[in-house]
Amino acid sequence: MEIVSIIYLVFMFIALYMFFFFIILILKNRNEVFEYPLPMKKYYVSVLTPAYNEQDTIEDTIKSVLNSTYDSDYLEMIVINDCSKDKTGDVVRALTSKYKNLKLIDNKENLGKAASLNKAIKIAKGELIAVVDADSYPKKDSIYKLTGFFNDEKVGATTSAVLLRHKKKFLEKLQAIEYVVMAWTRKLLDFIDSVYVTNGPLSMYRKEALEKAEGFDPKSITEDIEVTWHILDLGYKTKMCLDAIVYTSAPNNFKAWYRQRERWGIGGIQAMLKYRKTFLRKGMLGFFVIPFVLISMLLSMGVFLFGIYLVSRSLISFFFSTKYSLVTNTALLRLQDLNLNPSILIFFTIILFTTSWLYSRFILRAMRKKDSEDQQFWKAFNRVFYLLVYLTLYPVIWFTSIYRIVKGDYRW
Amino acid sequence: MVSQKHVFWEALVIAVFVFGVGLLFGLWVENMRTDDIIEMYSQSDLSLLDLKLQTDILDLEISCKNLIKSNIEFADQIYFESVYLRKYEDSNTLSSSIILQHKKYDLLRTMLWINSIKIKEKCDADYVNVVYFYQYDDPSLEQKARQSVFSKVLEEVKNRQGDKIILIPIAADLEIKSLELLKSQYNITKFPSILLDEKIKITEIEDIADVEKYFN
Repeated sequence: MEIVSIIYLVFMFIALYMFFFFIILILKNRNEVFEYPLPMKKYYVSVLTPAYNEQDTIEDTIKSVLNSTYDSDYLEMIVINDCSKDKTGDVVRALTSKYKNLKLIDNKENLGKAASLNKAIKIAKGELIAVVDADSYPKKDSIYKLTGFFNDEKVGATTSAVLLRHKKKFLEKLQAIEYVVMAWTRKLLDFIDSVYVTNGPLSMYRKEALEKAEGFDPKSITEDIEVTWHILDLGYKTKMCLDAIVYTSAPNNFKAWYRQRERWGIGGIQAMLKYRKTFLRKGMLGFFVIPFVLISMLLSMGVFLFGIYLVSRSLISFFFSTKYSLVTNTALLRLQDLNLNPSILIFFTIILFTTSWLYSRFILRAMRKKDSEDQQFWKAFNRVFYLLVYLTLYPVIWFTSIYRIVKGDYRW
Repeated sequence: MVSQKHVFWEALVIAVFVFGVGLLFGLWVENMRTDDIIEMYSQSDLSLLDLKLQTDILDLEISCKNLIKSNIEFADQIYFESVYLRKYEDSNTLSSSIILQHKKYDLLRTMLWINSIKIKEKCDADYVNVVYFYQYDDPSLEQKARQSVFSKVLEEVKNRQGDKIILIPIAADLEIKSLELLKSQYNITKFPSILLDEKIKITEIEDIADVEKYFN
């Protein structure tokens, strides 16, 4: 067998393994996917929202948190205005008179998200700390639904299902599909206590766990990934509630989207490097989370390089064929040259594509009733484009992320 | 709460099973294709034996005209079979049994070539033996493209010239000893090469006319 076929079959086996891994998790837990434990006591929750130049969105964010169904006597919100150049501070200040449990911290200088959060944690009264991004809007009952997980003292953090608020542009529709798939996948990882990121739009932490982790790491470009791994490393579990929905805004142009994904990529690699000593040594972080993220990264880059190799070969071959066909004045393509005998590799590809298609269709349908916003995003064309084009950009992002790390470029 | 600790190996077992079934299915499909080739080969083998016998009994005043006709028909038959063979080879990735069939076909084609030479001598036939030597094992992309164009040119020439030529494509690097001897006799060292009537060797084609001029 040719080496190319062997490589292809190895990739295919890993992909099949991961696919069945998730399918089994779905089948075993199909009745519990949207379940969440009810809180056994009333937890005091401090919601922290760092804001930098968020004058257009911060008001809606504050209202969505403070108008939630969570008992306002057990809820405070602290907005950290990180030296915004717009009117973010004024907007929040005006709302403090309306909402008594809203506090504003004005940073004298721009500290960044992690340091701002750490500053707020020190004055937060809550036993539980929730972080809500300044452009994100939790549903009314989302904060409540996250709290019950902390009945289990081993739980250090819980996270929510992030969905997109605006899905008008094509790029937004693709991200909307991606966010649903990501939320669902994280929920499946919750069943094995391996949620590997507590997202920025809405996550909740046990204050004690955050304190043990010494808060958020200002050196990390994605503090949410780092803190999750730190909490896992401390021996806590991380959970996810698929029924706790938070809406957020996503980049609506390619450049901003790419920068955001690069940041996620760099953050992931930074976290892997920081916690490399736990690899295959300690708990779910070492035995599952790091290997899972590492294999996903390597597999995606490997498949991409393999694809580049095959496409390059085809292009070079096409170039020579065209060249010699032109010289000899013979047909470049002929009907009789079509090979209608598919190889086994094509069968595997079709199986994998079909199963991915059905998987995405299944979860989009399941999430449909939870998403009250526009649902036109999951039409067939968008899903095909998502599977065949959008996902192929992931490895490119990994490559450029690695390049930026090597260069020492950790800009936001 | 359902126990999740078995998920890891359960997924492994199912993945191994599905992957194994896929591989077995692939092997089954490829073996079916090889069986097709074996069947075609058996038919062709019989036809060649028949043709050789006809050539050997030529002295018994068997009509040269009929013999030439049989030879051309047989050559056409195994030429078209070679097209099938090539397509099956391109699709087969798991098993290598088809390579053995290719070798057997190459032997058959070599025998056809020898037989054609004999018939030409004995019957003073006016067809041209066009033997096309190509590299089978791991040709470079450029060489593959050149070989593809050579094939197309020869196919075009065959279509235009019909029974005037006997087209015999042979993979020249499958270590068949008789073929090695013939290659050495006609000094075939570069691939692709075309040998016309055991006299003219062509290694570069710039136009179909470069080949066709030998038939006019």
